[in-house]
Amino acid sequence: MIDVDALEPGQQLPTFSREGTFQHWNRFAAVNDEFAEHHMDDEVGRHEGFSSAFIMAPMEHAYFHAMLRDWMGEAGRIVRVDMKLRNPLLRGRVLTAGGQVTAVHREGDEVVVDLEIWEDDDTGARLAPGTAVVAFAAPRRASAPPA
Amino acid sequence: MITDEMRGILGKAMATATSFPIAESDIRKWAVAVYYPEVPPPLFWDEDYARTTPFGGIVAPEEFNPMGWMTKEPRPTRKEAPRGAYEAQLGVTPPVFKANMQSQVRVTYSGVRMRPGDVIRSTRRITDYFEREGRMGLQLYTTIALELVNQRDEWIKTLETVYVRF
Repeated sequence: MIDVDALEPGQQLPTFSREGTFQHWNRFAAVNDEFAEHHMDDEVGRHEGFSSAFIMAPMEHAYFHAMLRDWMGEAGRIVRVDMKLRNPLLRGRVLTAGGQVTAVHREGDEVVVDLEIWEDDDTGARLAPGTAVVAFAAPRRASAPPA
Repeated sequence: MITDEMRGILGKAMATATSFPIAESDIRKWAVAVYYPEVPPPLFWDEDYARTTPFGGIVAPEEFNPMGWMTKEPRPTRKEAPRGAYEAQLGVTPPVFKANMQSQVRVTYSGVRMRPGDVIRSTRRITDYFEREGRMGLQLYTTIALELVNQRDEWIKTLETVYVRF
């Protein structure tokens, strides 16, 4: 359970890691009807300038969501998730998603948290830098006791 | 690569679709795929658990795509391999390219969640073009915005995907 009062810039989120295998990608292809051949055939990936087949962008985007949900639990809601695709996760590599709080502010009844997020592979290559915004219900303040 | 004809379709509704009612098993399968090989959060598959949460029942993960397979409208037709010739849907000649990839994905959510039984309507628009030289030559970047609303006309999310064709 997140202590919303304790949120502050610089806090790191727990990381989320997944292997880049056809076992993972084919499951996602099956739910998202995503069968572009560069996700399913190393030869096609090479034809497009990469060393193998590579992950689908919506799956990388979904991994960011999963990382945020794992951190927030059901107390928070995702407002925005933006990512830039710098390098694809190649088959055989491992993706790790991470994040850091960059700002915390109150908007109405919510505490809104800005985040820097990223996905790297196990060689240290940055796959996808990005930003996210999440929101939590603001904690209720106890009323001051009568004087 | 960008023609006046292409600029003329910016912002116009390129395609609309209506989903079949979302099934619990659609949500479960999506969650299994995203969290594989781990067990997904019970909010996405365990109705008994989900009923005890503030959501009051199973909801879909925010990024869930209710249009992934067959849609109610448009009616299904024979599947063609994806080609990325978006402009053709508005009668405009698409640029020549040999590869189409995604370079950015941006999404904004309203907080309204998709639930079993919801019928989702989507509208797709091309909202931006720009060109840039890349390692594969001149590349055309195309932003496509997909807006989703539910059967009560509640806005759910807008997904913007930037495609690069070269």
